Amino acid sequence: MSELRYMRNIGISAHIDSGKTTLSERILYYCNRIHQIHEVRGKDGVGATMDSMELERERGITIASAATHVTWKDYDINVIDTPGHVDFTIEVERSLRVLDGAIMVLCSVAGVQSQSITVDRQMKRYRVPRIAFVNKCDRTGANPYRVKQQLVDKLGLNAVLVQIPIGLEDRLQGVVDLVTMKALYFDGPNGDVIRIESIPPELQSEAETKREELLDAVSLISDDLMEAMLDENVTEELLRAAIRKGTISLQLVPVMMGSAYKNKGIQALLDGVVNYLPDPTEVTNTALDLNNDEKPVILTSHPDMPAVILGFKLEDGQYGQLTYIRIYQGKLKKGDELINIRTKKKFKVGRLVRMHASSMEDITEAGCGDIAALFGIDCASGDTFCHPSLNYSMTSMYVPKPVISLAILPADKKSADNMGKALNRFVKEDPTFNTYVDPESNQTIIQGMGELHLDVYVERMRREYKADVTTGRPEVAYREAISQRADFNYTHKKQTGGSGQYARVAGYIEPIEESEEVKEYEFVDMIKGGTIPNEFIPSCDKGFQTAIKKGTQLGFPVVGVRCAINDGAYHPVDSSDQAFQTAALGAFREAYEKAKPIVLEPIMKVSVAGPTEFQGNIFGSINQRRGVIISSTEDGNGCVVEAEVPLSEMFGYSTVLRSLTQGKAEFTMELSKYGKVPISIGEELKKEYQEKRKKEQGR
Amino acid sequence: MEIQELNALSPLRAFDQSLNGGLGKGNLGVLVSRHGIGKTACLVHLSTDKLFRNEHVIHVSFSGNVEHVINWYKEVFRQISDGRSLSDAATVYNSLLSNRVVMNFSQENVSVDKVLSSLETLIRQGSFEADAVMFDGYKLTVASEDDVRKIKQFALDMRLEVWFSVSPVRPDVIFDENGVPSTIMKYKELIDVLIGLKYNESMDKVIMTLVKNHDILDPLPMRVSLDPKTMLITN
Repeated sequence: MSELRYMRNIGISAHIDSGKTTLSERILYYCNRIHQIHEVRGKDGVGATMDSMELERERGITIASAATHVTWKDYDINVIDTPGHVDFTIEVERSLRVLDGAIMVLCSVAGVQSQSITVDRQMKRYRVPRIAFVNKCDRTGANPYRVKQQLVDKLGLNAVLVQIPIGLEDRLQGVVDLVTMKALYFDGPNGDVIRIESIPPELQSEAETKREELLDAVSLISDDLMEAMLDENVTEELLRAAIRKGTISLQLVPVMMGSAYKNKGIQALLDGVVNYLPDPTEVTNTALDLNNDEKPVILTSHPDMPAVILGFKLEDGQYGQLTYIRIYQGKLKKGDELINIRTKKKFKVGRLVRMHASSMEDITEAGCGDIAALFGIDCASGDTFCHPSLNYSMTSMYVPKPVISLAILPADKKSADNMGKALNRFVKEDPTFNTYVDPESNQTIIQGMGELHLDVYVERMRREYKADVTTGRPEVAYREAISQRADFNYTHKKQTGGSGQYARVAGYIEPIEESEEVKEYEFVDMIKGGTIPNEFIPSCDKGFQTAIKKGTQLGFPVVGVRCAINDGAYHPVDSSDQAFQTAALGAFREAYEKAKPIVLEPIMKVSVAGPTEFQGNIFGSINQRRGVIISSTEDGNGCVVEAEVPLSEMFGYSTVLRSLTQGKAEFTMELSKYGKVPISIGEELKKEYQEKRKKEQGR
Repeated sequence: MEIQELNALSPLRAFDQSLNGGLGKGNLGVLVSRHGIGKTACLVHLSTDKLFRNEHVIHVSFSGNVEHVINWYKEVFRQISDGRSLSDAATVYNSLLSNRVVMNFSQENVSVDKVLSSLETLIRQGSFEADAVMFDGYKLTVASEDDVRKIKQFALDMRLEVWFSVSPVRPDVIFDENGVPSTIMKYKELIDVLIGLKYNESMDKVIMTLVKNHDILDPLPMRVSLDPKTMLITN
């Protein structure tokens, strides 16, 4: 096993189409893992090696994160390719969890885009040190200086250039390394040959100015460097160490640049990964000790400690289920016994492999900090595996709730079986994907984070699982709420023959005031003098919780409601847990109608980017969709319109936007908040719901 | 406190009174001072007051950072609503948002024609019936007379109140006793209202002087000033 010092676990994340798959491809090439370069939507019909799924090749996007192991110089690097589209954010978040550092890819023309902001927020949440790579410097309008400034202005990062470009756009030749103060050129048909020369005279003064800026920024973080600067004795090693320190402590983001497509600057970026991003020992990881009230414990990256492993990604390949794992503590050998903390089931490690996109190599041992994959383990994504002596769980990941649902219908029995298999798999793979059978319509419903998210799964069902399914109209996950306080005093009585039931509850329901943190439900017990015996108080709570699961307006969950009880009555024989639950349920229904119930809908934060000449069309399209324009930003290259639009109005928007803008605009969206549905639309929804129910009851 | 009461008590009523009822649609108003006196806050306060009175506002910025502008609005709103303990503040804030659009131009030396055409696009195709446009940090001191004339015409055509916050671009500019730079005076004819902001150390206040009030050209101190701590207009 190699030393931990020589290991890097990195991710590559960015806005869609800023070229991260191409970049991953080049990294594989230079690390001699593949012998030929394939383009993402290449003419050779092979497609980029990292995009292993057929569908991804067709759509030109990267969906699942494939983990790949490469070696650069003496270093082992595990590269996780992450999806760029916002509908797959959980994938990005899941991979960020297991990374020690990341390359944030930015387009030299478009700069910081809406998705970069989302990715930035995620990286900040998981405290991931990073390098910014300004890609596509060969494109017309490329300006890495501007992108660097945007990192400072828009993301508030302490971004500093560690390189400057030699030529730009079609004259891009290479980069000047501001640490060594040398010019780097990338020769040969695939840029394999690195030619190091002195800085071209016309760039000398520019390079010196930027180096000064770099030194100034870094010296604020490193006292050693500050001293060396005063002694005018700054060595390469010292500067590199200081940049590394700043990057790892999240105080600095080094900015590198080049063009993956034109094979410029990738080797230098790999050196940057090695020089500036942390090894597994330099990052603190914590787990929760389940034997000790979930107290956080710091994991030690030492091979002799008992093993703690996170399964962060499942994949259903041609050889069976593959579980991608990250070893946080200890090491893992073939034949080792582990316990799945969630299911408490013990298992033996069978086949252990190291992945290269779609091919793999068998290994006998994986060390601490490593990323590998296991075969045939029954688990869900996000499960923790430990040495049987431990009972640790890796901290739970933040999982957003689904906002959209879709009914799916299999064509025949065989398709139904296959569909079941597929759904079972998807739910394990992706915590933001949900499925259930609607008891009223008896239809299978799938839920997810957006139209594209569900589309991809439906496509996968058809292709990978040969399930012939048809889909219904996508439906929005509405919420119900109340707008004022209402009292209740409800008696549940059934005393005719057999064991009777008796319970009375009185109190009120009221909306929980809007604040930063949205509380969905609160139960308040204000019973005095035992009018409801203590043992039945939890029953009331339970009854209310059942009631809010399904509001009476549209059958969606009721949120932001406080249920309080202050009086009641019981019967020494006929009162029971069940009786009080039923009474609470009835009480809620009684008060709900009086509390002026309203319908809430998911409001999406939508960001549309396109050429300025289509600005009017973009404004118009948002306006037609009940949208509120928040801002519009224009720079020399185009405009970005940010707006808040109800999700229900966004169905089919990609098609509309394409035709409005000749395919030149793109948009992303993510959940912003829940907002009140206009009364007229709310009434319509209610009518539809009532009719649907009537129909179902009539059946 | 309810919104109506808050509006009635707002120091902006005194501000409007000084201007004989306000700037008025089709007119240009200018807030001018040295850098760092608090013009942006002042402009955002003017804008927020309009939003509180259910008017539609477009905030035009040239900084390249929309978040920054939005945070200014958040902060000003928070101070106003906290100061008056506004009821149901979160809901009010959300409803204000739908009447405000931030339009941001991050390109260097964007032309007035481009800015006006984007504004018109938003108003017409975005169906955003703006009542006022706030130009934040516009380089009016180096704009051509023709540019200012175009903006004036636009304000008339679109029935808009237009406010500018202006800092001089050149470092060698001379300020008069009201904090007004000499370079702005060449547009005196085109501007309807000109307000100079100047920090007075002994009073610890930013004094607002009405240098031009529609037809009156006699500099007059306003009844309101700027609180240097909160950066809000106060009585």
